Amino acid sequence: MKRKVGWKFAVIIGSLLLFLYFMIPPSEKIKLGLDLKGGMHLVLQVVTDDAVKMERDQEILHLKSLLEDEGIKVARVYGKGINAIVVEGIPGDRERDFDALIASNFSVNWDYSGIVNGRAELTMKKKYEAMLRENAVEEALETIRRRIDEFGISEPVIQRQGVHGDKIVVELPGVDDPKRVRALLKNTALLELKLVKDGPFPTKEEALKKYGGSLPSDLQILPSKGQGYFIVEKMAAVTGRDLKTARTCADQYNLPAICFTLNAEGARKFEKVTSENIGRRLAIVLDDVIQSAPTINARISYEGRIEGQFTQESAHDLALVLRTGSLPAGIKIVEERTIGPSLGADSIRKGLRASLLALLLVMGFMIFYYRLAGVNATLALILNMIIILGSLALFHAALTLPGIAGIVLTIGMSVDANVLIFERIREELDAGKSPLAAIDAGFSRAFVTILDANITTVIAAIFLFSFGTGPIKGFAVTLILGIIASIYTAVFVSKAIFEFLYFGKKKVEKISI
Amino acid sequence: MRFFKRPNINFMKAKYIAFAISLAIIITGLIFIKKNGLNYGIDFVGGTLLQIKFSHPVKIDELRAKLKESGFKNAIIQAVENSQDEYIIRVEKMGTGEEEEHLKIANRLVHLFMSPDEEKLSKEKLNLNLMSTAEIRDLLARAFPEEKAQIWAQKIADLKKERKIIKSFEELKEAGIPAAPLNYLKEKAFLGSVAIMRVEYVGPQVGKVLRHKAVLATVWALLGMLIYIALRFRLLYGFSAVLTLAHDVLVTLAFIYFLNIEFDLKIVAALLTIVGYSINDTIVVYDRVRENFPLFRKRKGMSFSELLNLSINQTLSRTILTSGTTLLALLALVLFGGEVIHGFALTMFIGVIVGTYSSIYQSCAYLDLWSKKFGTKGLVR
Repeated sequence: MKRKVGWKFAVIIGSLLLFLYFMIPPSEKIKLGLDLKGGMHLVLQVVTDDAVKMERDQEILHLKSLLEDEGIKVARVYGKGINAIVVEGIPGDRERDFDALIASNFSVNWDYSGIVNGRAELTMKKKYEAMLRENAVEEALETIRRRIDEFGISEPVIQRQGVHGDKIVVELPGVDDPKRVRALLKNTALLELKLVKDGPFPTKEEALKKYGGSLPSDLQILPSKGQGYFIVEKMAAVTGRDLKTARTCADQYNLPAICFTLNAEGARKFEKVTSENIGRRLAIVLDDVIQSAPTINARISYEGRIEGQFTQESAHDLALVLRTGSLPAGIKIVEERTIGPSLGADSIRKGLRASLLALLLVMGFMIFYYRLAGVNATLALILNMIIILGSLALFHAALTLPGIAGIVLTIGMSVDANVLIFERIREELDAGKSPLAAIDAGFSRAFVTILDANITTVIAAIFLFSFGTGPIKGFAVTLILGIIASIYTAVFVSKAIFEFLYFGKKKVEKISI
Repeated sequence: MRFFKRPNINFMKAKYIAFAISLAIIITGLIFIKKNGLNYGIDFVGGTLLQIKFSHPVKIDELRAKLKESGFKNAIIQAVENSQDEYIIRVEKMGTGEEEEHLKIANRLVHLFMSPDEEKLSKEKLNLNLMSTAEIRDLLARAFPEEKAQIWAQKIADLKKERKIIKSFEELKEAGIPAAPLNYLKEKAFLGSVAIMRVEYVGPQVGKVLRHKAVLATVWALLGMLIYIALRFRLLYGFSAVLTLAHDVLVTLAFIYFLNIEFDLKIVAALLTIVGYSINDTIVVYDRVRENFPLFRKRKGMSFSELLNLSINQTLSRTILTSGTTLLALLALVLFGGEVIHGFALTMFIGVIVGTYSSIYQSCAYLDLWSKKFGTKGLVR
């Protein structure tokens, strides 16, 4: 009974070489996860409420100016919650005009309550609000991506968690400077140039006193980075959106500063404001803190400079975030894991040692228990390892510490398929079958069991994958790869080796199992 | 070589003892978990974790006393692999539990363990053991050319990576830092006695979401199993298998509690893997039961218990061998895998034993019980 096994060995050696090719050299081809390489893992939450509120506030300004244009004098327009506008004191004889104004300007995105006792309420439509939130997350994602790219971190992972979630996962391999990265990511970097009305005042109360305790709605009080408070105009003359570029430069005392250039639209606005307000002070506001408030000496169009007490590093980072655009909403860090490179290196050493020991123990046991058939299983096991590592390299999946644990577990579990087959062969031999018939029966009968048993394990691993974050996903991946590889090696490879050993011979009395 | 030669053990006879033992473990476990809670890691409750390395041995009691003194009453501290100079400190969320608080906590912890002299020194000089590579480079670049600074900073980073903490400037010299930059570093910086290996922060909201997700993943996995087994075998087998898996998870949880294993994301992964492993074992036995159906129908007078016993005995050596090799591999991981993976490995080790036991004494015993009450309809095709 001779069988053609040549093609099978071609397949086996082919697969061996292929996966070896994928993984060699491992130090270059196999990507390491953050827990092995060291680096930062962050989960950021975009405070989308900010974006909704900001839009609502814009609309309040819009509504006020429309009312002014139409000559409708109302008592009060103010925000309620984050997504509603309340108008009070609408004159009885202008109710119709008010209704018409709302209908033509706000009906698309706002639900309107109608006027009751001179009071009306506008609420943002759910769909519109959802869109604003969605846009805020997408925009934040883009901004963060640009910042990280410019900062020059290699192979970062920046992705949204879930399809409609407000969280962004950021993985930065090799980063050992959490403080700086944190500032880089969280800095809203909303740059605004606002005309100064009055100031500086030593305290907020002092500033308020000047206006008799309550500020007109178009003014606001902002703290200054240096000292004290200024009263500035609420509407920004120019914002960061009009920025073309920003870079580090030196001020007149040769201290680090940030120079920016405006785009055409911004320059036009800037020129108008500066030419009309020579002699007044202009506040350069970053995230609601006045950096400096220089006096306008002449008409300026394209360029400006931000001065403050910057170090070289902080000036560089600020220029970077200004260049890459402001964040549309605040960012909260809800999860942060920084793994030092030394811990990663330590984990690799230990993981390797444990894997090698596991491999030796299991191989030794298999050979001790099954003799020649054990050697067969050992070969299958080695091929299995190569397939797992090769696949990881092929799919650019990162090897994590739990991933190594998955491999170790696979070492123990993957011989299961071999054990099932070998035990079956022994049973068939005990039942009086000839060695060759026993081998065939063993393989074919065990196959169904192997399939059923492994599919259920894969089901568990798939749910694990969907649940887990980084390292856990790595574990699920190696587990799934290991199971698939073990079916191939046990069913196909081991059988081919058996066929090679016994099926070529004229007469087989006994097999070593 | 064979461990078992045609075993013929009446497993089903002892099923009530097995039920009693399992139930006792599960109930005591649940009572204690309900009362005291599991040793949740920061993944699930939120908080701050700090892994630090000292340049010299420090007694754990000393650290504990310092933590208590400074108001970290709930801090949990553990030595890394019984070492005297590497520790993991966990602090549950404090105050608002927000990120700013976390930064303060991590910072306070590091400074807590510095000696007063060092604390004073750190106000005048930079601490080389706490500086990032970029910071070291920028420091060197103040006095030396940029490229040189980059190379030296990298050398120092590599040394830190290998040694975890630099104890003396001698080490830097041996690592190939020339005298000029070395002297400059000596002047501007000092070598602190603490190095940070890992800092983790999980916000309070995240923990809640993760807990929810973990339960959901487990439930879905069980449901997936139920459907697959019901399709491949019969519905009763599916229910029995899922009941077995729930048993495995609960018994393992009891052990996690009693061994005080930190319950984090990796433990959830271990539990799900145990589910996968245990079902594997159960199916091998069920598969044999299914294969023996014709024999069962042919032999009049064979009870269902006998069919189960026969199938378990036929697959016994495989069951023992596979769990044996898996346990061997896991043993290597438990002993040498390192602190980060230790809880996971230990949980898996227990789970594999539980899963092996349950594939005989739970998954088959339930079917046996059913056959005694309702006959073999629904069990045999």
